Amino acid sequence: MEGGLTEIGIGLKAGLLGIGAGLAVGLAAIGTGYAQGRIGSAGIGALTEKPELLGRVILLVAIPETLVILGFAVAAMVIILLGG
Amino acid sequence: MLVSMAKVHVIGHRSRLDQTLAVLHQLQVLHLIDVSDDATAPLPPLAVDEQHLQRIEDLRYLRARLGSLLALIAHPPTPPGETVEMTAEGLYRLREDLNELTPQVEQLVHRLDDLAHEQDILPRHVASLTKLLPLVPGLAELHGYGTAVLLVESRHAAVLGELNAQLMEKLSGNFEIISDHVDHNTVGAVLVFPRDHSDEVQAMLGREAISRVRLPKQYETMSFREAIAAMKRRLAELPAEIAATRNALDELVSPRANWTAAASYLEKHLDQLSAIRHLGATARTFVVSGWVPATAVHELRDVLATQVGEEVIVESAQIQNGEVPPVLMHNPAPARPFEFLVRLLALPRYGSIDPTLLMALFVPLFFGIMLGDVVYGAILLVLALAANHRLRNRPSALRDLSRVFILSASWAVAWGVVYGEYLGDLGHRALGLEPIWINREEALEPLLLFAIAIGATHITLGLLLGVRQALRTKRRHELVERLSLLLTLAALFTIAAIVADFLPRGLLTPAIAAIVTALVILMVLGGGMGVVMAPLELIGLVGNVLSYLRIAALGVASVYLARVANELGAAAPLGLGVLVATLFHALNLALGAFSPTVQALRLHYVEFFSKFYDEGGEAFRPFGTGAEIQPAAS
Repeated sequence: MEGGLTEIGIGLKAGLLGIGAGLAVGLAAIGTGYAQGRIGSAGIGALTEKPELLGRVILLVAIPETLVILGFAVAAMVIILLGG
Repeated sequence: MLVSMAKVHVIGHRSRLDQTLAVLHQLQVLHLIDVSDDATAPLPPLAVDEQHLQRIEDLRYLRARLGSLLALIAHPPTPPGETVEMTAEGLYRLREDLNELTPQVEQLVHRLDDLAHEQDILPRHVASLTKLLPLVPGLAELHGYGTAVLLVESRHAAVLGELNAQLMEKLSGNFEIISDHVDHNTVGAVLVFPRDHSDEVQAMLGREAISRVRLPKQYETMSFREAIAAMKRRLAELPAEIAATRNALDELVSPRANWTAAASYLEKHLDQLSAIRHLGATARTFVVSGWVPATAVHELRDVLATQVGEEVIVESAQIQNGEVPPVLMHNPAPARPFEFLVRLLALPRYGSIDPTLLMALFVPLFFGIMLGDVVYGAILLVLALAANHRLRNRPSALRDLSRVFILSASWAVAWGVVYGEYLGDLGHRALGLEPIWINREEALEPLLLFAIAIGATHITLGLLLGVRQALRTKRRHELVERLSLLLTLAALFTIAAIVADFLPRGLLTPAIAAIVTALVILMVLGGGMGVVMAPLELIGLVGNVLSYLRIAALGVASVYLARVANELGAAAPLGLGVLVATLFHALNLALGAFSPTVQALRLHYVEFFSKFYDEGGEAFRPFGTGAEIQPAAS
């Protein structure tokens, strides 16, 4: 397996790090998407009743994004610190 | 910044009340306070009698009727210029006019609508029937049978077979159905059936895939050829009929050029009549209580003295405990568009910090750091300048947004030069352009550190403003809490500096001690829940700083998407490559305009404002601006 990866210029360690970093961002993004979907649909419902709540709805929809940012931070740490 | 407000009492002789209200309405500087909510008002609330309330109701009804009539007329008569002053007799005449003319105007407007609809629909029927006519030449002159013209999408053509089978069963073969393609996607069909079976056939035709061409009633009994000829004749007559109806409407409406002016008079008069309910008065004197921008008190005094007379005076009043003045933001012109972004969340409370200037500084800066591409920035700048030029005479949220984008796009160009990005790496590939500072594609670590440094600075600034706010409002609890968070932040960065060998290890113990001290203070402040909430608050603080990593994340995503566009463009043949690259860059630009804006706003609303922002102010609504008069908050 390692030989195969090395043939295309990627070592096993680098490949695993890549998968790990991808999982860190990807899973966090799924969580964020799920939360934003639920908040967004509720937010649109609120906006039809009270359009002046736009600012608050943007704020509430944006809150779960911290999850994916933390996922990004973990991915970056995996690549920078472990990737050498 | 928030405009300083003064509380005033406008006091005068009852004979000058109407005149005073008219001047105040025109000046638009006084936010009314209901006298019954004003403990400092020198006079008791004015007792409004039934007659006054009835008059308000009558005028509201008249305004609604006039408004709906004016809305019916596409081009209301031109107003004579200024608002007319209407006497009781004028109002009576207006009421009589409305009683007499409303039915006539409604009838003419509906007639115009019908004619326009006919003009719109008949050419479509003529086209459909003309296409179907060759299918059934034998039916062209047929009388006595019912016909139905059907249109079916080609992919649902099988429905006609099913219809044929069902009709065979119901009508025992006493019908004819003929179909053919009328265009590429549509099959036209003509069904001929005995009129006695009309109801059964109608029920069968109510199918989703079948669209029945319903002819207007007067053409239903005609043969196809007759119907087409009649429709063409009607189409030729319509323009003259429309013009005649329009003329009749103009003749009816033109002599009433004062209607628009009367509507604006009614607005103004109703405002003034409604205001009376909020005043204080005795038999001889009245008082109007309200908030005025402190700088406008002299102007108010002078104008009233000049236009009403010395019988009306303006007195400054004492602001009572618990009374909160309304909020009016006033910032330097370049920062003014950002007021809309602050209002989008909520108005600040009177006496608190107005963050507009800080938003004007940081939002475009964050946007520029995230997008950071010379060409993308330049395109957005041109679009924003064009939008701003187009909306220059129309104050609106969109115009404000275009001005926000002018500043943001300018920063994006500047940071594009810093990163050396011109459509991603295209500038480097084609012209060898190099970054001034860092290449975002390669230098991820410095970019992350840069984002965290921005976060730390922004959050520290927020906490310092929070400390200032707590000092001004003398809220000791908040002061200690924010100082503890500042201490924690300083200790955390000291530890980070020690780990990176920038500071001696001897500082580690004091730094940890500082964090523990802050934690204990927060626990004590939190009371019973403090043991749980204090650690969460510290974790939240670290989360707030890390949240600024999105500045780096979005930038990296943008630069890689641009690179993908360039790689794909380079891999394909020239024409196709340019097309593919253009599409990808357009997508990246659309994302680059939207995401950094939302993220920059989020960093302000969530991370920054939570450290100092005191929301919940009531907007300054001066009398005369058409806003509903509300009792002042007490």
